[in-house]
Amino acid sequence: MTTLLKETLKHSSIYLPTPARITAVKDLTALEKLFTIELPSGFSLNHRPGQFVQISVLGVGEAPISISSSPSRSNGSFEVCVRRVGSVTNAMHALKPGAMLGLRGPFGRGFPVERFRGKDILFVPGGLGLAPLRSLINEVLDERGKYGRVIILYGTRTPADILFRDEIAQWQQRTDIEFHMTVDRPDESWTGNVGVITTLFPKIQIHPRNMVAVVVGPPVMYRFVLMELLGKGIAEGNIWFSFERHMKCGVGKCGHCQMHHIYTCQDGPSFSYAEIKHLEEAL
Amino acid sequence: MSAKPKVAFFEFTSCEGCQLTVVDSLQDHPELLDAVEIVQFREAISEKGEDYAIAFIEGSCSRPSDEPKLQAIRQQAAIVVALGACAHLGGINAIRNRMPLQEVREYVYGDRAEWFETYEPRPIKDVIKVDAVIPGCPIDRREFIKAVTHLLQGRMPFIPDQPLCMECKLKENICVYTRGKVCLGPITLAGCDAICPTYGDGCEGCRGLIANPNIEAMRQVMHEHGLTDEAIDAKLSMFLTNQIMALEEAG
Amino acid sequence: MSFKIMPKAALPDWVTWLKNRYRVVGPTARQGQYVFAEIASPDELVLDYPTSVLPPKKYLLPQRETLFTFDAQSMQMKANIEWEPTVILGVHTCDMHAIRLLDKVHATGYTDQHYQAHRQHTTLVSIECLSPCMEHSFCKSMGTLTVPEDYDLHLTDLGDSYGVDVGSEKGEALLQGFTAIWDPTSEDYQRINKVMAEKWPRFSYRLNFDVTELPDLLALSNNSSLWNELGDICLGCGQCTKVCPTCYCFDVRDEVDLSLTKGERTRTWDSCQIDRFATVAGGHNFRSTRALRNRHRFMRKGKYHLEAYGLIGCVGCGRCAAACLVHITPVDTFNELYRRHKKGELLEEAKQA
Repeated sequence: MTTLLKETLKHSSIYLPTPARITAVKDLTALEKLFTIELPSGFSLNHRPGQFVQISVLGVGEAPISISSSPSRSNGSFEVCVRRVGSVTNAMHALKPGAMLGLRGPFGRGFPVERFRGKDILFVPGGLGLAPLRSLINEVLDERGKYGRVIILYGTRTPADILFRDEIAQWQQRTDIEFHMTVDRPDESWTGNVGVITTLFPKIQIHPRNMVAVVVGPPVMYRFVLMELLGKGIAEGNIWFSFERHMKCGVGKCGHCQMHHIYTCQDGPSFSYAEIKHLEEAL
Repeated sequence: MSAKPKVAFFEFTSCEGCQLTVVDSLQDHPELLDAVEIVQFREAISEKGEDYAIAFIEGSCSRPSDEPKLQAIRQQAAIVVALGACAHLGGINAIRNRMPLQEVREYVYGDRAEWFETYEPRPIKDVIKVDAVIPGCPIDRREFIKAVTHLLQGRMPFIPDQPLCMECKLKENICVYTRGKVCLGPITLAGCDAICPTYGDGCEGCRGLIANPNIEAMRQVMHEHGLTDEAIDAKLSMFLTNQIMALEEAG
Repeated sequence: MSFKIMPKAALPDWVTWLKNRYRVVGPTARQGQYVFAEIASPDELVLDYPTSVLPPKKYLLPQRETLFTFDAQSMQMKANIEWEPTVILGVHTCDMHAIRLLDKVHATGYTDQHYQAHRQHTTLVSIECLSPCMEHSFCKSMGTLTVPEDYDLHLTDLGDSYGVDVGSEKGEALLQGFTAIWDPTSEDYQRINKVMAEKWPRFSYRLNFDVTELPDLLALSNNSSLWNELGDICLGCGQCTKVCPTCYCFDVRDEVDLSLTKGERTRTWDSCQIDRFATVAGGHNFRSTRALRNRHRFMRKGKYHLEAYGLIGCVGCGRCAAACLVHITPVDTFNELYRRHKKGELLEEAKQA
């Protein structure tokens, strides 16, 4: 058994991908699909929640994609939720099960899950932010006893943008998860909360001393959620983000994901607020 | 795409030099003819097939009667590609857009001006939805092949989005400003392999403006290199009239 | 390791001798300026060149480089690690410092084997700068007016001969078997001491403060209005980053031939001064103005590299200043920040932000 990263490091070029096969494709929304990717036999991904892989569609290019499945549920294969926005992701959307991709990674620093143990965890995914956060949520849920309260506040633009509906239905059923959802713009069928994600905060009780908050969403969301969390008294070191940047190479060379002296692809994409609050370009 | 996609070429107000460049590129890459089926191409064949999936359109739209023709092409083609500066920007034809239309008509057609319909030349994207652009005057033949390859892959052609200076410096050309000429390279899109500066001439801007160009600074640079305001206006009007007028309008 | 003397008359023979063993590149004239190029004949080599358009880094990190070739159908991929035994003649000390930084960047964290292969097979023959190369250089201020420790061969112009410092085995190999060199006499030592002593006063300090203060100065400058002023005049043409010896950012693209399956992935020098550089697929641009992009460049050169790699990212070569059509220069930028700092303006602007 070897890991994908060890294999990547063995290549004569760090930029050379390892072939892997798509085994399942599921439509999540009009823009997002969930891909199940099978590693070559004898390989494990061995990732941490919050890490990403570089996915190649040979001939089109490579894009950084965060891993959506939890390490606890990634046995020889893993899942990525991909929004169709650029040439590579558009090409991926045209692929069917059986098609081959190239993989490098996993890269970056994930969330420090072990430091979250025993704490209440507040997950705040916005939009596509649920894709990387699902990896951490399921990791926590699979070892539910090791954590305190689990609270999920999920916001999307419209009801049509809601990802992972089946899983959300299960989360809503569970008594050991406090789940709240909102949409910015409702449709006729929507009966739930309407408004930006911060409108969900009054629905929950927060005991800041024992809480970790993990926030992943579009760049505009971070400042507002941060103000809310700091206002509730959550420690700066217990507020975690995952930053979206243009990680072209994934290995700290190409410069595109740099913010200040930090390469997001190496030192991130997960950061605590305490680590980045002095970085002008971060938020 | 599995079956050979059918391709057609059309021309509006232009010199058809871009289509000649296509002919030229086919000489380097005859295998392109194995990949696509050309059903209409005035420069090369006499057939006029009306069943096509990809339409390459050269030329600007310079009179009202061009519009229904463009719309008909749009109706038929799954993908419409603007071929060259005229289709992309309005091209050289648009120089006249700074002048009163009636004066231009009388200057060109004399007392028969009323016989000829005309209006402000515009890029075809002002008339129909355009899926992709191959810029330049004329287009770059290697870029044409690349763009067709991308289309055959099922993706949109990638056109560089950096300023010409980047490409020029990669070739280690000596900056034409230090050779006593002016150049629009800093505000013009790259992709032509900096062909004009490579041969010692300043860039004329045929590939169009970069995103968020600093026109004021560009004018200042040309001014420092001895150009009068009038000469600067002329320089910026060769290919960029429509784009710069649009910027002025946006403030 | 050792010190030798080579008469200038022997230089053409040495170059020819090297050419039989290596690809030899060095500064050559082009339209009134100088570029590093392969030396076809020794008389093309201009060792007393002022500066080059592009730094010699292009032999370590080529402008365009194929990372690997592939067949998308069979998923066969083959890394393209290119190298050729190369000698670069006439590298100025600023560029030597820059290469030291590039070495560090490409060996930190994940190793970039493509850079590494070029680097390992390249021998650098540096040359002592005895007078300022052009109005824009400020190497003395940046502490790069002398060769860093890890050189291979280092030449000093002694009039009718070159002093040849041998700094590494790779450097020594360039002399092995070449007979027109000799051990220095006491007069040679006197001469080199004189040449070296006389060179320093010819260079002036162009920064109005010590370079060790630069990172702290920049740390105070995040909210300076100077960045907006630079953004207003900057053309965003990216030339500054193309000519910079310490820039290494790149873009990656796939191209296939008309078979649609066979192709290659290449990287090309990119620039943080370009509008879309920090734009993510969804369209958000994390450095959306020329002001922010200028700040990023100067911060990177004067502060970030020090934090990330322990070395200042600007070596004072002056190429970016010479290339800039709107006269944005590191000397003026850093000095202006310093002036505003002395007047208390930077702190004031930081407070207001």
